[in-house]
Amino acid sequence: MRRGFGEVRTLVEGVHHRLAVKGVVGTLQLDVALEFAAPWTVIFGPSGSGKSSLLRAMCGLLPDVEVEFERRDGNAWMRLDAMQTSRRKLGYAPQQAALFPHLNVRENVAFATVQRPRGRAAWISAEQVVEGALDMFGLQMLADHATRELSGGEGQRVNLARAFVVPGARLMLLDEPFSGVDRKRRDAVLPEMKAWLADLDLPVISVTHDVDEALLLGAEVVRLDGGSVVAQGAAAVVLAEERERMLRVLG
Amino acid sequence: MDFPALGLTLRLACVTTLLLLLVATPLAFWIASGRGVGRRVVQAIVALPLVLPPTVLGFYVLMGLGPATAVGRVVVWCLGHSLAFTFWGLVVGSVMYSLPFAVQPLVAGFSGVDRELLETAKVLGASPWVVFQKVMVPLSKMAFVTAAVLTFAHTVGEFGVVLMVGGDIPGVTRTLSISIFDQVQEANYAGANRMALWLVVLSFCALLAVYAKGFRRGADLG
Repeated sequence: MRRGFGEVRTLVEGVHHRLAVKGVVGTLQLDVALEFAAPWTVIFGPSGSGKSSLLRAMCGLLPDVEVEFERRDGNAWMRLDAMQTSRRKLGYAPQQAALFPHLNVRENVAFATVQRPRGRAAWISAEQVVEGALDMFGLQMLADHATRELSGGEGQRVNLARAFVVPGARLMLLDEPFSGVDRKRRDAVLPEMKAWLADLDLPVISVTHDVDEALLLGAEVVRLDGGSVVAQGAAAVVLAEERERMLRVLG
Repeated sequence: MDFPALGLTLRLACVTTLLLLLVATPLAFWIASGRGVGRRVVQAIVALPLVLPPTVLGFYVLMGLGPATAVGRVVVWCLGHSLAFTFWGLVVGSVMYSLPFAVQPLVAGFSGVDRELLETAKVLGASPWVVFQKVMVPLSKMAFVTAAVLTFAHTVGEFGVVLMVGGDIPGVTRTLSISIFDQVQEANYAGANRMALWLVVLSFCALLAVYAKGFRRGADLG
């Protein structure tokens, strides 16, 4: 591993990304204006509330929707919406794992690192990052396997690991990152993920419909319903009602 | 057996297949990568050789290569002679004639690649060229094999275009299919049969190779 567990540092101060989305996706009217300031923001909401569409808008994959997407770059704001998808410096784990079927597990994880011609030193360090990500998500035993041999949870871990090795990434977008991953493994890997991200000063925007997950992350929560933001704030506040209900159920 | 004709036919088919893959790959990629009227029009033009009589196509290629058109005059000016009745004239005709046999399998192959994979690759930083090279091509390998074999086999079997553009010059433009025609004209049925059988066997083997490979892959995925 690259480092031990430590307190997660809050290196990202102030707003790091701004997003405004307006338009129709399928049957959903999206109308959202958001500022992201936390190191980890969770977009929470029921299925069909437009969570994944927001991530896709940030990626530039919603061509028919009006999107304003900016990143703070020093003291200036950089317009990402005008940039090609491939130049936005995003780590991305889509909801369906979308693993490359012609590549094995290690090659999938390394996908983002092999496409640019680079020097020998950079190549070696990229290789170390790949191995580190394989370690973190418990994939070393599976590294040489074909992706079709993986279970759903294993595939999802490859999907996550692949997002974590994008060189020079400035924002991590994780769509239902722990779907299919058992809770024990999720709870074990989460502190490592947070430490890795803090190391790189890399903010995360993730999507979930799982209250437990949103509370566990202790993140800033954006609550989405019917394509609009209905609340934004600390997880314990925004999800207070759900939290109480859960505690009651648990006795 | 007319061996010069066999050699010429194989050479023509190889050159045509190579050139056509170079032309058809970007064309098919463009057709498969979007919607719109322009793409549909091009797709229809590409498919024209499937329905046109080869003599019509051959006629226009012959005219096009001759001094009657601007393109033809440029060619004559560059080479000092017309491409008509030469090997490279045949190549031009063959490339046009077999265009749909290369483009259509590739369009099908490219369209069949999961869009989500292409999008994910893009978000992870892959430029259009890298997406094409590292995701699109490896995932449509079968389409390339199909396109190459069909183009090759179709070029080996062409007759009308070759006759129109190339005439019947031994060793230069007399391909196997034309040689068979000549044998029949001379009532040499045994000789025609020997060559015709060769063509049947060759074509059958080519198609068998395509289908056998497709079947194995299907079983793999199943």
